[in-house]
Amino acid sequence: MISSLYRIVTIGRITLTEAVRQKVLSVLLIFSLVLVGSSVLVSQLATPGLDSAGLFDAQIKFVKDFGCGSIGLFGFAIALLSTAQLIPQELHNRTIYTILAKPVRRSEFLLGKFFGIVLLLALCVALMSLAFAATLYWQEMRGLQATEATYAQAPNWKANPLAVNAYNHDVQQIVQQVRDPQIIEAILLIFAKLIMTISIALLISTFATSSIFTIVTTFMIYLIGHMEGTARDFWLASGASSSIWQSSLVGFISLLIPDMNSFTIVDEILAGNKVPWAHALNLLGYADVYVIVLLAVSVVIFDYREI
Amino acid sequence: MHFSIGKTLTIINLSMMESTGPVVSPFAVETVGLTKRYPLTWKRKVLVALDQLDLQIRPGEVFGLLGPNGSGKSTTLKLLLGLIVPSDGEARVFGLPPDSLDARRRVGFLPENPYFYGFLNGDETLRFYGKLCGVTGPRLDRRIEELIELVGLQNGRERPLRSYSKGMLQRIGLAQALIHDPDLLFLDEPTAGVDPLGSAQIRDLILRLKKMGKTVVFSSHLLEQVQEVADRVAIFSLGKKVLEGSLESLLVENQSTQITLPAELGAEQQQRLREALGAAGIDGEIRFTRPHLSLEQLYLRTVQAQADPASTKPANK
Repeated sequence: MISSLYRIVTIGRITLTEAVRQKVLSVLLIFSLVLVGSSVLVSQLATPGLDSAGLFDAQIKFVKDFGCGSIGLFGFAIALLSTAQLIPQELHNRTIYTILAKPVRRSEFLLGKFFGIVLLLALCVALMSLAFAATLYWQEMRGLQATEATYAQAPNWKANPLAVNAYNHDVQQIVQQVRDPQIIEAILLIFAKLIMTISIALLISTFATSSIFTIVTTFMIYLIGHMEGTARDFWLASGASSSIWQSSLVGFISLLIPDMNSFTIVDEILAGNKVPWAHALNLLGYADVYVIVLLAVSVVIFDYREI
Repeated sequence: MHFSIGKTLTIINLSMMESTGPVVSPFAVETVGLTKRYPLTWKRKVLVALDQLDLQIRPGEVFGLLGPNGSGKSTTLKLLLGLIVPSDGEARVFGLPPDSLDARRRVGFLPENPYFYGFLNGDETLRFYGKLCGVTGPRLDRRIEELIELVGLQNGRERPLRSYSKGMLQRIGLAQALIHDPDLLFLDEPTAGVDPLGSAQIRDLILRLKKMGKTVVFSSHLLEQVQEVADRVAIFSLGKKVLEGSLESLLVENQSTQITLPAELGAEQQQRLREALGAAGIDGEIRFTRPHLSLEQLYLRTVQAQADPASTKPANK
């Protein structure tokens, strides 16, 4: 058991190192960091005229939307590109033959590859989140400075308890908006969705003959996963008129393709609505189960694959 | 650049690893009716890559697989490594199923035209493969030192593999195949694309592994090299083994004798020798020829003399 884990870790580490040294991924990551960092500037362009005390709501919301959107988008690109080429590249370079000729189980090889990419993604999301946090902090500083400047226009405002109260209220609002713990909830949900994407791509790559096939098919499943919830609601809403076939088909698709639309709850968080942690944990649990099932199926398919 | 000779490799204690108990078999490799078919669904045909292969290779033998491209050599090696599943028949490695971990602990493999991870250097590559085999710590450090010296890659230890020449890649490939000190080595075209000097070094290494008691099964197109190292060969054609035996039994012409004299004979001397042989009761056609160096021997002699003026002998002759 321990030696098996050791082999998984060894393969995971080499997968991470290989991915980190790929120029395409580095460029993607740098680009995403720049984009997350530049969201403050973009927010000012998108919402001109709001750069005054107490009117930062829209800009902060924009920065949050932009930051989380960038993390999701670039995370998706990095997850898909790096997973899709895992097995084809090993086959092309014949490294897979030398690895599987050693005392290494195919399941260990596959799990090592999976955890290597998950680690890569965790690293990328952590870096992008840091850039995001720095951007939010900068936005908070600007907000506080602008608020103070606004109040400072009135002479001796600090002697006026009403003005001080109003100032404190404004400051508290800005700090609350920026340091919203729900952002962590949102990033965790984005990360869970990305791991689901990795699992889908890995499953497809166990039988695909090219990276392009894996990329296109994963993308299609991702899209269907987003539409699935809407289709289910539509069909089930028709109540008695829905035939047993329709219900079966919807049920079958729900089992086969993960419901990505559930993760749009992130939009609610970013809109400022409270989403209870219990709900987020439910979604994380759903993602966990799905990833485990997809990994199990991937291992079975890869075990039978002739290389 | 040369391989060190007489180096004793560390015996790695495998007892700490998972084991299913000893399996006794008199053969390192044994196949019975081993067959691999690939259904070509769209053409409604079946491609027989390997057909009813019966093979027995004893421990310590150097066995050559010969045949044109597509004759089933690589398929045989992949089946023996458990990378593909036979359609029929059975293969055993030291009496074990080829895809079992116990069998793989005793097997090393060098694929044809390997690339490995280009971003790793020689040391890192060996470290990676060592860890996969459960070789760790100071034992792995020692093993890397020995193998780097054995394959003569001292100048490639710190260089990334993407900058390696073809010959260097083959040698690091051999080193990774040997990292866990296997009893049996499968080498798929180990000298493909390597220059004659590098090729001769790989040949020497195979001979040295044989002396260490290793079993080596290799495929090659270079017949002269196979002749120099193999104890037995099997010739494949269209997925079938068409000939198998020891080189002695296959190559020696039992109906004639070759005598090498330390002098060039003139016409008169040849005539007198014919008469003497006739008097000894030897009839039929008697030919007088002068022995030739092979082009490879000439090349090696020239190149090695250039590299080392003290040595003017043909390599390993």
